[in-house]
Amino acid sequence: MIENFLAGTAALFGDPITILIFVFGVVGGMLFGAIPGVSMLTLAAILLPFSAGLEPAQGVMLFAVIYCTGTYGGAITAILFNIPGAPENAPTAFDGYPMTKQGRAGKAVGAAVLCSAIGGTASALLMMAATEPLAKWAIRNIGPPEIFALVFFGLAVASSVGGNTIWKGWMSVLLGLLVATVGQDPVGGINRYNFGLTDLAAGIAFVPAILGFFAVSEIFIQAEKRAFGKYNAPKLDVNFPTFLELWRYKIAVVRSILVGFFCGILPGIGATLAAFMGYGEAVRWSKDKESFGKGNLEGVISSETANNAATGAAMIPLLALGLPGGALTAIMVAVFQFHDMEPGPLVFYNSPELIWVVFAAMFYANVSILFIGLIETKTILQLLRIPFHFLAPMILMLASIGSYIGRGLVLDVMVMFLAGMIGFLLRRSGYSIPGIVLGIILGKIGEQNFAQGMQMVHYDLVTYLSRPICLILIIAGAITLGAGVYKALASNRVGAKQG
Amino acid sequence: MGKLNTSHLIEAVAWVAIAALFFIYSFEFNQKIEIYKFGATAWPRSILLMLMLVIAGNLFYQRANGSTPQPGRVGISEDDLDDAEKPLSSYLNIGSFLFLPLIFAWSLKPVGFYAATPVFTALVIVLLGERRPRWIIGITLFIYAIIIGLFMIVLNAPLPQGTVSPFYDFSAFMLRMNTQLQNMF
Repeated sequence: MIENFLAGTAALFGDPITILIFVFGVVGGMLFGAIPGVSMLTLAAILLPFSAGLEPAQGVMLFAVIYCTGTYGGAITAILFNIPGAPENAPTAFDGYPMTKQGRAGKAVGAAVLCSAIGGTASALLMMAATEPLAKWAIRNIGPPEIFALVFFGLAVASSVGGNTIWKGWMSVLLGLLVATVGQDPVGGINRYNFGLTDLAAGIAFVPAILGFFAVSEIFIQAEKRAFGKYNAPKLDVNFPTFLELWRYKIAVVRSILVGFFCGILPGIGATLAAFMGYGEAVRWSKDKESFGKGNLEGVISSETANNAATGAAMIPLLALGLPGGALTAIMVAVFQFHDMEPGPLVFYNSPELIWVVFAAMFYANVSILFIGLIETKTILQLLRIPFHFLAPMILMLASIGSYIGRGLVLDVMVMFLAGMIGFLLRRSGYSIPGIVLGIILGKIGEQNFAQGMQMVHYDLVTYLSRPICLILIIAGAITLGAGVYKALASNRVGAKQG
Repeated sequence: MGKLNTSHLIEAVAWVAIAALFFIYSFEFNQKIEIYKFGATAWPRSILLMLMLVIAGNLFYQRANGSTPQPGRVGISEDDLDDAEKPLSSYLNIGSFLFLPLIFAWSLKPVGFYAATPVFTALVIVLLGERRPRWIIGITLFIYAIIIGLFMIVLNAPLPQGTVSPFYDFSAFMLRMNTQLQNMF
């Protein structure tokens, strides 16, 4: 492994063009991740056509580096503006944004920088050691029933965070699932819910949905507060946490690396589920559960460590099985295809040098987050000085472009603003925005794998559930769901007694 | 009725209406799929069934607890504003702010991005309370320059050009300028 890693490093830093592409990816991912309204996905979508002109290793490496640094960059906007750069940064906003409102943005961002770097670097090392054996295991043990079970489990976890009640958590998730049914059905290609609009046959893209539900709705909320004289400008603070402060959370970091890595392996939902699970586990093991969601530094640390730990792991299903672990890895499939290659087990045999250049680049990108991130963050924090009425139009314009670029459809801009309006109303009523977004992202994956799984077992539910991993995940999801419902019913009894 | 109030009932009716709309519309694509026994409607209808159950659970909860959040919930939004009386102008302002982006999105096809952006930017700044003309114009131009510089000149991103004259002509002029600028380097 070390020899391969050194060879990858030599290939990466032995060619000036490759170095330039690496630096561009590191800085571009961080910047686009950290500019509110656009994200690493916007940059990736814009760069995709240009990747055809690069060497295969350079092209794949560029997107892998953007993935690492962009995932960290998305935490900045989640913390400063309650606008996650990507779904995997959504739980970071739960505690990061309250910290900004309390004047502790520097602490939150500093923790995000360090934990993203630690999580990502650890994940890159684990990825190098484990990709091949895990790929072999996954090929034998993970099929559509397991992926559907994972989706179910991920949605059960998502429903338990964000909404005012378990019911509102599930209503949010189900709304997201319903939105995901718009477009062609994944089995027969039949048009569903296009309401006479041709463009809707392609479905609702999740980038406009994310931007609408998070960025636009946040601007509407702040605009409403301004209109009603309730707006409080976030307080600028550039005091990073001390090493001793962070050392207290060492167990949370290790736990989140493990959670993040193992969730990240799962195709389709990896990094997002990792962030939610990392956050959920932090709450589960904390002695001060009530402080989560109100500015607990451990919430930021857990979410950011886990989502960056998932970046390395997300490459495993992509490279080993050809299954993308999220939006950016899905774009990477297109990069492979531009070069007449298919990601999958054969890449390990046909292009090992490509694999190790990518692995080395991801390792160094995560290390560079620590150094470049700290410098960049001090600058980015100054964004808080810009008055809201000047920042808001900028965010709206960038978000409009971010929505449009992906598919070149004006409909996506419309969807984004509609999602913003709906998100604005739902947030005021205690619904979970991350729940809706996760529902939209996982809906199609869940349906497709459920259908494939059912076809595989000839519609026999007993055979379906006799697969051990599938059964364990379904039971875990059912317990999470059952526990939430039980607590809600217990609240009903208490509420009824109090009259 | 317990602690149920009118807004809870309106909320429930809105959700039921959404579920009903989607259920009725599902007959439009109620077709068999040769390779899949459950067809195209099974998944959305299962979601709708679950949604109805959850709506009932939510109503049941609100009957006992009103709008009080369930104890122990994590990541609860703190976006609620108090219900005190607000001046009508505030509602008009926020109403305009909510609909302005939709008008902008609708205008992108006929007007194009290059012509619609400065107008939209300036209107957003005005609706957010800025009244000094110099600032409105200055910030609008600054944002426009950044966006054009980054997406048109640096990244060559394809943006909507509009279909109606003179907006289309303006977009064409901007793109010609960009081409000439690119040719200089």
